Amino acid sequence: MTSPYLTNDQILVEESHDLPLVHFQIVIPSGSTEDPEGREGLTRLTARLMRRGTRGRDTRAIEETIDGLGAELAIETSPGFVRIAGSTIKRSVEPILALIGELLADPSLPEGELAQLKRETEAALLELTDSDQSLASMHFRRALFRGHPYGRPGLGTRATLGRIDIDQVVARYREGLAQRCRLVGFSGAITRADAEALAHKHLLPKRTIRAPMGAPPEATMRPGRHLRIVDKPERTQTQIQIGRLASHAHDADHTALLVGNAVFGGAFTARLMRAVRSERGWSYGASSRVGLDRIREAWNMWTFPAATDAPACIALQLQLMEEWVARGIDAEELAFAKSYLVKSHAFAIDTADKRLEQAVEVLLYELPSDYFSHFIERVQQVELAEVNAALARRLPPSDLVLSVVATESELGAQLRETVQPTSTEVVAYDADAAPP
Amino acid sequence: MSGTTDEREARVARLNAERRDGARLHFLGTYAFGERSIARYSLQNGLRLLLLTDSSAPVLSYHTWFGVGSRHEQPGKTGLAHLFEHLMFNETKNLPAGEFDRTLEAAGGEVNAATWVDWTFYYENIPSSELALVVRLEAERMQNLVLREPQVASEKEVVANERRYRVEDDVEGAVNELLYKTAFSKHPYHWPTIGWMEDIEGFTTSDCETFYGTYYAPNNAILAVVGDFDEGQLLSLIQQHYGDLPSAVMPPHHFTPEPEQTAERRLEVEKPTPTEKLALGYKAPALSDPDYAALAVLNEVLVGGKSSRLYRSLISEGEIATDVRGSIAPSKDPGLYEIWVSLREERTAEDALKIVEKALSEAMNDAITEAELEKAKNRLELGFLHGMETASGKAEQIGFYEMVVGDAGRIFGQLEAYRQVTRHAVREVARKHLVAARRTTILVRPKPELDEEAA
Repeated sequence: MTSPYLTNDQILVEESHDLPLVHFQIVIPSGSTEDPEGREGLTRLTARLMRRGTRGRDTRAIEETIDGLGAELAIETSPGFVRIAGSTIKRSVEPILALIGELLADPSLPEGELAQLKRETEAALLELTDSDQSLASMHFRRALFRGHPYGRPGLGTRATLGRIDIDQVVARYREGLAQRCRLVGFSGAITRADAEALAHKHLLPKRTIRAPMGAPPEATMRPGRHLRIVDKPERTQTQIQIGRLASHAHDADHTALLVGNAVFGGAFTARLMRAVRSERGWSYGASSRVGLDRIREAWNMWTFPAATDAPACIALQLQLMEEWVARGIDAEELAFAKSYLVKSHAFAIDTADKRLEQAVEVLLYELPSDYFSHFIERVQQVELAEVNAALARRLPPSDLVLSVVATESELGAQLRETVQPTSTEVVAYDADAAPP
Repeated sequence: MSGTTDEREARVARLNAERRDGARLHFLGTYAFGERSIARYSLQNGLRLLLLTDSSAPVLSYHTWFGVGSRHEQPGKTGLAHLFEHLMFNETKNLPAGEFDRTLEAAGGEVNAATWVDWTFYYENIPSSELALVVRLEAERMQNLVLREPQVASEKEVVANERRYRVEDDVEGAVNELLYKTAFSKHPYHWPTIGWMEDIEGFTTSDCETFYGTYYAPNNAILAVVGDFDEGQLLSLIQQHYGDLPSAVMPPHHFTPEPEQTAERRLEVEKPTPTEKLALGYKAPALSDPDYAALAVLNEVLVGGKSSRLYRSLISEGEIATDVRGSIAPSKDPGLYEIWVSLREERTAEDALKIVEKALSEAMNDAITEAELEKAKNRLELGFLHGMETASGKAEQIGFYEMVVGDAGRIFGQLEAYRQVTRHAVREVARKHLVAARRTTILVRPKPELDEEAA
């Protein structure tokens, strides 16, 4: 089913004239899940190649213009969309939008730049192996969304990048990115009238708009506990992500789950932080979160204990989760979580850019239209029984994915002993960057 | 409501009417802050107040800056300021362990802190309705912290894990620590703010108690508060809760200044990383030095954005690196201008060094272009604006400038200083500071895999 929100161009504006600063974003609902099998990374390369030349400017001229204007620009590719976003000093708004308009409407997509972009991406894959936190997250999602489009590598791998050629990139641009609708958002020192005029002038030309792809199918949770060890040498500290598929914004118990999560790991004084850090000093950070997307997303918890403490830390986390789901939260914890979520909501909307981001997310993730505007009321109405029922329904701890960056030879046996997994995979930390 | 000078002085007189000595307020004037102004006060006990009202959102940011950082430590006791920062979230005489954070979170607050070489600061971002709560709690922990051995032991372990996360298992963190250790031989900037592991492990509860008693006093603190609050109400609360805190005699800060560096220092190290890295540290001017602005402009020309000289020569056109960054330490004493390059496979740190040296030589010999100058200033302006978007951002800038240069009004002055930089000044600053004799160079090689070693 296609989204009811993403069939036409839309313009969103949040004004704030305190500072001579404007944020902007152009979101195209076409993302890496549309990469053909075996050519993962195609959407990302295409989006980035749009920045490498237009009919009137080469890459050097483009970057000179962006920097010279006092602007910044980034292109983000996610499973569901491509986003061109940035900010600029107020006096440079029109010139930077004019440039972005050229990138969108008239990119030259030079083949020489594609080759260079692929080399850069391969180098970035290697660079990524220096970040244990990124490796743990990436492999958690791959294991969780195994066999699903969300589990495919949006950056690509060295093998898949090698199969992408300029004809595929041009086709992806023409049929995918150029012809989809655009969400255009502005926040800051720009009036609604100016924003709409500039958007129509530079960013929203008349063109055939194709309907976006429907949301991908829902992912399914494998039964049992599945351990993925990301094997990296000489780790004195581990990175641990544990979680499962959990919640959808349209679930009746979604808000109740958010409240329950605030008690467990969604606040600094939550159970997880107290047990892992405050009482034992095992990890500098310990938290859990509920994800948000068009499809059912993950609940996961994150810690990073010393390697020597990792097995005990995992055992503790699993025990805490089991107790939390089995026994639920109590009235005092409910009161705390509601107070925290309601009162801290002021910081979700204290800047124009944050308010804009909420408006964009409603459309992109097909959230209920009042998801953010009535968040406080929904939290206030949550009752204890609802929270505990949500935990039991959405987070059965029998079925989990665990992603651990560690040195297999030193810790593998202990991890298996602790988790007693249904399946275990050991993946080399640099697998994506390895030559095919 | 804030007010004119006369209104403020009248308000202070009213507030002081029934207060004891230590709680007496003094109005010291205002600093311009764009179209607004920061009101400056002090209490008789030495506590300095910098207040900026902003009712654009019903929130406020409450910052407490202490004039103590890792530079105040001694060899063998490095990391104490940072460990103590962790301990400040623990038990007080009137709050059981964990209650400080819990109470503020229940009130919708975000609480955190940071320690660096010259300072330590604590902050709360909180709904403006909770002003009285945050004043009470912050004053409570400034005077009534309780330090017990189990909590000290637990926080030592947390800090040890933080050190592993930020340094021992992080290539860039480890190399940056080595850079400062090598670049500074005498000055306290030599040791890392997080401390050496053996020092962290060796701290006692007595060390922490002595540190608290010495440095955590109102006359060593600045409160910077920005957001939606009534100035009169805040002043009254501050008098009520901080007025009885005694000031302390700050020990003289003796340290050995860093001698002039007259020759390059170079090290080669192996790390578990797939590609080579290059870390450079040039002795740089302090934040208050007139040269700082010109060097900041040069930094933008060299590494700011994808049109910058080094981005092009190393990454987009040269294709020998994946990342290049530069930064100048905004410190009280002269710090380092750092350049970090992450190389691609089969490229060496020496390859990058040649390119960096060529770029610096060009900056010394030929002035940068007018277009580059304009571009750098526009980018610095953008960065400045980003730092001012939230109440917390503003409070941090206010506290920082008051602490480091003694002048919160310098925030906008710094932007103006960037605007006044000339091409000639940029060339001169390159010639003066960015010479090899003032540089520390660290070449990072990938550690061979264990199986390769075995072979």
